[in-house]
Amino acid sequence: MRVGLAERALRRTALLLAALGLAAVAWEVYKAIGPEQGGDIFGWRIIPKTNDRVMPHVWEMFAEFGRPAIGSGDQQVWSVLLGYSWFTLRMAFAGLALGAAIGVGLAVLMARLRIVERGLLPYLVISQTIPLIALAPQVTVIRGTLGLPQWTSAATLAAFLSFFPITVSTLRGLQSVPKASLELMDSYAAGWWTTLVKVRFPSAVPYMIPGFKLAATASVIGVIVTEITLGGLRGVGFATIDYSQKVTSQPASVYAAVFAAAALGLIMFGLVVLSESFVMRKRSRETT
Amino acid sequence: MTETSEPIDVTRAVEVIGASMVFNDGTPARVAALNDVDLVVETGDFVSLIGPSGCGKSTLLRLIANLLDPTAGDVRVNGKPAAQARLDQDYGMAFQKSGLFEWRTAAKNIELPLELKGWDKRLRAERVGEMLDLVKLPDRGSNMPWELSGGQQQRIAIARALASHPPLLLMDEPFGALDEMTREHMQSELLQICAATHTTVVFVTHSIPEAVYLSDRVVVMSAGPGRITDTIDVELGGTRNEDTREKDAFYGKITEVREALRGSEMTGEARGIEDR
Ligand SMILES: Nc1ncnc2c1ncn2[C@@H]1O[C@H](COP(=O)(O)OP(=O)(O)OP(=O)(O)O)[C@@H](O)[C@H]1O
Ligand SMILES: [Mg+2]
Repeated sequence: MRVGLAERALRRTALLLAALGLAAVAWEVYKAIGPEQGGDIFGWRIIPKTNDRVMPHVWEMFAEFGRPAIGSGDQQVWSVLLGYSWFTLRMAFAGLALGAAIGVGLAVLMARLRIVERGLLPYLVISQTIPLIALAPQVTVIRGTLGLPQWTSAATLAAFLSFFPITVSTLRGLQSVPKASLELMDSYAAGWWTTLVKVRFPSAVPYMIPGFKLAATASVIGVIVTEITLGGLRGVGFATIDYSQKVTSQPASVYAAVFAAAALGLIMFGLVVLSESFVMRKRSRETT
Repeated sequence: MTETSEPIDVTRAVEVIGASMVFNDGTPARVAALNDVDLVVETGDFVSLIGPSGCGKSTLLRLIANLLDPTAGDVRVNGKPAAQARLDQDYGMAFQKSGLFEWRTAAKNIELPLELKGWDKRLRAERVGEMLDLVKLPDRGSNMPWELSGGQQQRIAIARALASHPPLLLMDEPFGALDEMTREHMQSELLQICAATHTTVVFVTHSIPEAVYLSDRVVVMSAGPGRITDTIDVELGGTRNEDTREKDAFYGKITEVREALRGSEMTGEARGIEDR
């Protein structure tokens, strides 16, 4: 029997909550027994401090959501963060969409022409070693000359991170079609594009899904880093920086922002998982 | 072959003339898979290719299907060059592994060649229904391939190969992965289907009884380099059914093919012939 979609979703959510609970317990245990002012190992200061500024209680972090946000009038932290999150989520989604278009496009190009694969792939690998922070100002300049709205730089940089896992996994999928399937299509005198659409893509799907999962979270990171690097984009990344500068008065608010970022990552990941269960609903569990 | 001087007969389903196939020529990995092979298959014939592993049976089938071009010689299908026959989809193919696409239902798998030919949707559905009936799986069309048994998958693959009513069917050990019972059952069904649709068949197998039971002619090949060493006509009288397997004539032919294979073994390197 195949386990129902709802049941699986429920089980996954329960596991997630259990894991979060465990993390919270570990946090509190360390806070209770760890050294207040941190410690050294071989002269390196790597044992974290456990004071309330660095490690607030877990319940403090949650309580933070209900407190008034600094510098946002009488709005509470949760509603401010919700607004920021919505902004970041849309950027991340745009980034993922753009990254998917570029990633799949490049994979098709490389699958079509061996020469392109040989020539291009090393550059794609190198591109991923460039820090976003170094790239952000260039992107802003180009965006400015093209007269595009400011949010496009965040989406572009998110796409820059997310296209890579999609390219690599899609290329692998497109190239892993059994020879007999290709011969069959040859025997039908089917052209390359027909074979791509009818055979290569469908058989690449199981390979593409892990790539999209990586890309989904990468695009959230891309947007957040962009917000931190460039000014004027008011999303969760901005909130993290903003709150960490006000850490003395409201130390737990930084963690509230971090939670919001984590939740965004989970939502994006969840979207991919949801589409996975949709596109894979008719496939055998054994082969996938 | 005898008819070298005759003009090419359009009614011939397959005509392989002096075909050779050398893989990786000019490298240390050079393999002479086929050497100067002549083969004629008349329309309506059922011809089996049998021989030791690596003697070039699959390669010969691929030449006929124009999935490979011979390094020398000529291949004609239905009186046309093999390349043209492939473009016209004059043949259907079935392999040892069913090769069904796991993201398509059984019916959708059968429909694929019709889809590629640009058939109208209603006509396609009609033909798929007929094919499902033909392979005796009328109500399994909506099943995914992994929900079917190996024998059922193979029948769907045969239905797919026959869907556009090609005059020629090329099969490479299609029953190789099936158990003996299913295999004999499928053999009888294949004969019925081919009789009903007047399909010419070129059939690669490792099994002597299978070759004898199915074929009008058994072509015996040997390896190193691959070539045809013998052709045995199989006349068993009347229509073939399960009783045919009990007849003395059937056993006689099995012995004859086995001896032909032994003869080819003397020269070639023989492995993997089933004596069942
Ligand atoms: N694409 C290829 N490249 C190189 N060598 C090949 C290729 N295809 C087949 N060969 C070689 O050609 C020879 C004949 O292969 P083929 O697959 O036709 O044998 P076969 O008679 O079908 O064997 P089997 O009964 O095991 O299926 C073998 O030595 C094989 O290694
Ligand atoms: Mg073979």
